[in-house]
Amino acid sequence: MQVVRYKPEGLDALCRNTKFSRKELQIMYRGFKQECPTGIVNEETFKEIYAQFFPQGESSQYAHYVFSTFDRDNNGSISFEEFVVGLSVLSRGSLQEKLQWAFSLYDINNDGVISKDEMTSIITAIYDLMGRCSEPFVDENTIRDHVDRVFQKMDLNKDGFISMDEFMEACRGDASISKSLGVFDTVL
Amino acid sequence: MAAVAAWLPFARAAAIGWVPVAQQPMPPPPVNREHNRTDDLMKINVSGRRFETWRNTLEKYPDTLLGSNEKEFFYDEDAKEYFFDRDPDIFRNVLNYYRTGKLHYPKHECITAYDEELAFFGIMPDIIGDCCYEDYRDRKRENNERLLDDKDSEDGDNVPLASMREKLWRAFENPQTGTAALVFYYVTGFFIAVSVMGNVVETVPCGIVPGTFDNPSCGDRYEKVFFVVDTACVMIFSVEYLLRLYAAPDRCKYMRSIMSVIDVVAILPYYIGLFLTEENDDVSGAFVTLRVFRVFRIFKFSRHSQGLRILGYTLKSCASELGFLVFSLAMAIIIFATIMFYAEKNVENTKFTSIPAAFWYTIVTMTTLGYGDITPETIMGKIVGGICSLSGVLVIALPVPVIVSNFSRIYHQSQRTDKRKAQKKARLARIRMAKNASGAAFVARKKKEEERIRLQELGQEPEDKDDADVFELQHHHLLSCLEKTTDREFTDMDVNYNGQPTKLLGTPPLTPTMSVRSRDNKNRTTGCCARKSSRKTRESLETEDLNDINVTQ
Repeated sequence: MQVVRYKPEGLDALCRNTKFSRKELQIMYRGFKQECPTGIVNEETFKEIYAQFFPQGESSQYAHYVFSTFDRDNNGSISFEEFVVGLSVLSRGSLQEKLQWAFSLYDINNDGVISKDEMTSIITAIYDLMGRCSEPFVDENTIRDHVDRVFQKMDLNKDGFISMDEFMEACRGDASISKSLGVFDTVL
Repeated sequence: MAAVAAWLPFARAAAIGWVPVAQQPMPPPPVNREHNRTDDLMKINVSGRRFETWRNTLEKYPDTLLGSNEKEFFYDEDAKEYFFDRDPDIFRNVLNYYRTGKLHYPKHECITAYDEELAFFGIMPDIIGDCCYEDYRDRKRENNERLLDDKDSEDGDNVPLASMREKLWRAFENPQTGTAALVFYYVTGFFIAVSVMGNVVETVPCGIVPGTFDNPSCGDRYEKVFFVVDTACVMIFSVEYLLRLYAAPDRCKYMRSIMSVIDVVAILPYYIGLFLTEENDDVSGAFVTLRVFRVFRIFKFSRHSQGLRILGYTLKSCASELGFLVFSLAMAIIIFATIMFYAEKNVENTKFTSIPAAFWYTIVTMTTLGYGDITPETIMGKIVGGICSLSGVLVIALPVPVIVSNFSRIYHQSQRTDKRKAQKKARLARIRMAKNASGAAFVARKKKEEERIRLQELGQEPEDKDDADVFELQHHHLLSCLEKTTDREFTDMDVNYNGQPTKLLGTPPLTPTMSVRSRDNKNRTTGCCARKSSRKTRESLETEDLNDINVTQ
C-alpha cells in the first residue's frame, strides 16, 4: 500500500479559482492536513468522518454519494483542490451552481437524468442518517411516498425521469428551496 | 469529536443535497457569536521548557484546563506566556492530545504521576487511544492491587440492588463476602470430610467381637452409627444442592454444570439405597455397588480448593495432548506385546497365553514397575523385554514437559483472553456512551431552546446564556436540518440494564412539570423523563464499570 503524498498548487492559484480569501484557505488547509497528513482523502476516511457527525445512524451510503460527487476526476480520492473547489461552490456559489451540484449528487450514474431508482437510493441514504432513534417510525412506505411526492413535484413531463432543466425549473419555482439553499452560506 | 471540526463546514455544505427533497423548509443557521476568531500563537512554559501552539488547537477541548479560561489563572503578564510548574515530559503527551486528538501513555512513566498530570489538566483517562489503552489498564490494575494489598481492606460487594436470590448466589460463589457465607463454607467442608472419612473407616476391621471369632468391619458392627452419620451428611448436601439450585441465575445451565452433577451423584446412592431396602433384598447387591459412587463426594472439595479446579481445567484443556500421549503409548504397547507373545508362546507353562495377557507385561515393564509376576524365558523374549523397558523410560519421560509447558501456556493464554475480552467490552461501552452522549446532547439542546423560547413568550428573561462553542451550534443546526428533511425527530436513547439500547417512546411526564408548549403537537420526552433516563444511563454505566473490574480480576 503506497502512501501517496500530495501537495496542492500554490495559495494564489487556489485563491483565484475559488471564492475564499487567503486566510480562509490557510485555516482550511491546516485543518485538512491535520486530519489527513498525506494530503488526500480516500473514501474510507471520508466515511469515518461522516460517521462522527451522525453517530446514531448509518452514514456510509450517503457519504459514498457525496464522495463521488466531490471526486471530480473519479480517481477514488479527494485532493485539497477538489475539496476547496467543491466547498466554494456549495457555500459561496450562485443558486444555479448549487442546484447543479445537487443534481450531480442525485445523478448517481452520471447519465444526465435522475431515475426513480436513483432518487430512492438517495432518499433511503438520507433516512439512514437518522438511524433508529427517530420518530415517527420509518418503513418502506415512508420512503416510497417521499419519492413519489418529489417526482410529482419535479417530473413535469411525467416520463419517469427528471432532467436537469426540469430540476432547475422546479427548484427555482419553489421559494422555500431557494431560501433554504441560502442557509448554508455562512460556512466559515 | 472536536478534532473533526475542520470537516464540519464540509458536512454542512454537503447537506445542500438534502434541500431539494426536504419535506419542510430548513431552520435558520445559528448566529455566530464570536466573529473575531483570530488564530494566534500561544506560548506555554512548563517548568522552563517552552511549547507553542495555536490558540485554536487548545480550544478544541473546552472542558479541559488549557481549553477553557481556567488557564488565565496561570498567565504570566511580564513574560506574556502561560507558566505551569509541572512535569514537562508528561506535558508533551498532553499537548499532543490537543494536536492529534489521541492521548498516548508512555510506558516508562509511573502510572500515578501520569494520572496526576491528567487530573491537573482536566483530561479524563478514558480517552487514551487504543494503542496505549491496554498498557494503561494493566498498569492501573497492578497499582490498584498493590494498594489493596497494602490497605488489607475488605470492600465486599457494592451493588446495593441485589435481591435475596442474588445475594445468596454471591454468598455461595464467594465465601469471603460475609460471615454467614464463611460459616456455611466451612460447615459443608467439614461434612464432606466427615462423610469421606466415614466411608473409609467403615471398611476397616474393627476388632474381634468378644465371644466369637469374627472380625467384622466397623461398618457392620456399628451399623446404626454410620447410618446416622451418613443420613446427616446427605441431608446437609441435599439442602445445599437445593439452595444452590434456587439461587442460580440460570437454572438449566447450572444443572448441566459439572459441580452440580457431582453433587447429584454424591447424594443419589443414599436415596436409591433407601428405596431399595424398602422393596426387596434381591437388588441389595446393586445397592452395595452403588456405595462405590459415594467416593465422588470427595470431588465436592474442588469448590473449596482453587488448585483442584485449576488442575481439572488443565486436564480438560490438555485433553488433545493427553489423548495423543495415550494413543502413542497404546501403539507401543501393542507392538511390544505382539512381539513378546510370538517370542514366548512356545515356552511351557508360559504366562504369555495371549496378546492381551502380554499387555500387562508390557505396561509393567514400560513404566519400570517390574512386578515380576510374568517374565520372559526365551532369549528373544529377554532381548525384546530389555528394549521394551529402555524405550519405556523415554516414552514416559517425554510427555511430562509437554504437558507442563501446555499448562503454563494455556494458563497465561486464558488470562490474556479474559483481559482482552474485558477491555473490548469496556471499549465498546465507551464508544456507545460517546454516541449516546452526542445524541443526547442534541436532544438536550433542543429542549433548552424550546424552554428559552417558552420563557420569552411568557415575558421572562432566559436565565443563562448558553455559551456552547461554534462547532456544537453548527453541528446541532445540521442535525435539525436533517430532521426537517425527513420530517422525523431524534429521540433520546435509553440504555437498560442489559446494555441493549431501547427506544424511549414519547412517555408522558411523571410529575406535572412545565410541559405546556404553544407550538408542540408531537409526543416528546420532557425534562423529567430525560433526567430519569440519564440517571438510568449513569447507573448502568456504573454497573458496567463494576463488572469490568470483576472480570479483569
